Amino acid sequence: MASYSVIDSIKLSKKKFFRAPQWELKLAIRILISFVVLYFLAAFLFLGVGIYFIAQKSAPEQNPVFLINQFLIYYFGIDLLIRYFVQNLPITNIKPLLIQPISKNKIVQGVMLRSLGSFFNWIPLVILLPFCIVYTLNETTTYTLWIWLLGVLFFAGINNFLVFFINKSRVVAVGLFLLLLLGSVFQNVLGVPLLSFFEKGYDFLFLNPEAVAAPFLLFILTIGVQYVFLKKQLYLDKGFSGKKERIVGSGLTVFDRVGSLGVFIKNDIRLILRNVRARQVVFMGFLFLFYGIIFFTQEVYMESYVMLIFAGIFTTGGFMLTFGQLVPAWDSEYFSFLMCQNIPYRNYLKSKLYLMMFSVVLSLILSLPYLYFGIKIMTIILATAIFNFGMGSFITLYSGAFNATPVKLNVKAKAFENTQNFSFSQLLFTLPKIVLPVLVFYVPFQFFGFTAGIIGLCLTGLLGLLFNGFLLSRIEKTYQKRKHQTLSSFQKT
Amino acid sequence: MITVTNLSKTYGGTLVLELPELSIPKGQRFGLVGNNGAGKTTFFSLLLDLIESSSGRIAINDIDVQSSEDWKPFTAAFIDESYLIGYLTVEEYYYFLGSLRGLSTKEIDEWVLGFESFFNGEILGKKKYLRDLSKGNQKKAGIVGSLIGSPDLVILDEPFANLDPSSQIGLKKLIEDIAKKSTITFLISSHDLTHVTEVCDRIVLLEKGKILKDIKTTPSTLKELESYFSFKE
Repeated sequence: MASYSVIDSIKLSKKKFFRAPQWELKLAIRILISFVVLYFLAAFLFLGVGIYFIAQKSAPEQNPVFLINQFLIYYFGIDLLIRYFVQNLPITNIKPLLIQPISKNKIVQGVMLRSLGSFFNWIPLVILLPFCIVYTLNETTTYTLWIWLLGVLFFAGINNFLVFFINKSRVVAVGLFLLLLLGSVFQNVLGVPLLSFFEKGYDFLFLNPEAVAAPFLLFILTIGVQYVFLKKQLYLDKGFSGKKERIVGSGLTVFDRVGSLGVFIKNDIRLILRNVRARQVVFMGFLFLFYGIIFFTQEVYMESYVMLIFAGIFTTGGFMLTFGQLVPAWDSEYFSFLMCQNIPYRNYLKSKLYLMMFSVVLSLILSLPYLYFGIKIMTIILATAIFNFGMGSFITLYSGAFNATPVKLNVKAKAFENTQNFSFSQLLFTLPKIVLPVLVFYVPFQFFGFTAGIIGLCLTGLLGLLFNGFLLSRIEKTYQKRKHQTLSSFQKT
Repeated sequence: MITVTNLSKTYGGTLVLELPELSIPKGQRFGLVGNNGAGKTTFFSLLLDLIESSSGRIAINDIDVQSSEDWKPFTAAFIDESYLIGYLTVEEYYYFLGSLRGLSTKEIDEWVLGFESFFNGEILGKKKYLRDLSKGNQKKAGIVGSLIGSPDLVILDEPFANLDPSSQIGLKKLIEDIAKKSTITFLISSHDLTHVTEVCDRIVLLEKGKILKDIKTTPSTLKELESYFSFKE
């Protein structure tokens, strides 16, 4: 019975990777992504080393640990939120093991152990370990610091298992995140220090090392509950059956009035509402709304217009870029069906185009709070929105024709494992989407000043709208020309 | 209805289909049999312009499928589950197909009533996404979907596979009824020799991409096919 070990489980994952179609390409992408991950690790490492000195400078009287403790609850909150959208239990892979002579305990252990390898569990370690080392070198400390680190790691571990429960119920998930949001609103806007409770807790942990028993026991508890829960899930009608889904978006009769175009818009809205992967992308697009904050709050960027334009493009075009680059891959699961239907290709493309344009308008409305940063920032946002609306949307749609990697609609994409939709051509196409707006701003700006740059952006957008018929025809032709290529690559999953 | 001339398809030097000449008249129920790799699905894919031929041409109603798309309004197919849109309900899927073929939702609602006995109360009004239906019910939903808007040509790949016995018998009856009432041309591939010989009036046997037999169905056809497919000692 005991012959199946964790090593066997890893071996299976390895074979799954190397025997997948186009694994060479996937390997190349993995290597590229490993560099990205390495970059992040290095960045976190620097951050970890730097925190100590930053803290020393900004609050010399305060212990840096207490400063970190202020942020921990936000970190864990956001960590849980991101995990909710990307982390999945690798449970489907183990279905064939069920009827093999392997004990269920071993299977569950394998699954849980693998989940601990998640990128998210490493972030606190990578940031805080260098911090602790620097701290030890500079201050006279005892073991309490290390116990505190251990405690924080336990909390990360708790998140790791907690997210699988949250995933089971949307109500619990939404409730939890609303609670966190309310907490931070009370804390920072209304001045009611609700979240300080957590901060006090982390401080207490640092001051009283024996308190580490609490996160430790909580961690053990989540492991235990998860263990029992998972073991019960190892039946076809439990963990493998998939949730019974409620039908959403069945009305939408408003769109019937727009004739045959409405049919496609209806389908696209349903696609977004009813598929995990699409919802994930919408969420990503939503996050891009906050992209501006990074730049607009920094004095250094206020005079660097290139960066501001860059920020504007992403703030107003987040959804457009993330959703649009996967046209027509969104329909890859049934693409051959679409191709032998009597489909007006133009309407199919138009529907996607309108969706992107609509998202730009929506993003613009949601970006209105950026007015807080002044008229200049708002002007930039408005101009980049016009560019995205009139020109960016067409470029994105055009680039989609060259993206031939299929999308699995109802499967979550994992962080840093989203290799299924990465291609070199897509990388190339980010250039016109991002560099072009910077260029049409910068050239007039150099000669005639800020207003001219803004006019340049707006004009380019309007130009796209003016020639929309021509552009759409070009795009349609490109899609049609690549039909067979797209079909054959969509069939390879 | 369909004319094939000098059609061939090769993959990396291997010939997978070679049809010098084949014509299928209007209203025929054309059965395609052959072991795996005989070229049945390749033929259907070429017919629907889903893959490009290496040489030759296929015309539906004298329209070359590779150079025009005008065959689409009167051609329908159900090849496999990827011909369903998984995140739609059956009704939504039919409305979508209807809208592509000029039928209103009301017309679809009325039309679909005619299939109630075939559906056996398991498909309509279930408030389920197509991806959550069983394999058999997905197939039934797809087959009926291919009949929407009374096309002239209906292509079905393995329609009997995955169906329960009642549904298999129901499907045979369905095809025969339609054939009696209209001049729809059916192209049906199947591994089930009994069903395909009962339903089709012509059987073509493919082997390694070539036509081996082309027979008008008679009571002795099943025996003939069975003797071909038996393992030779």
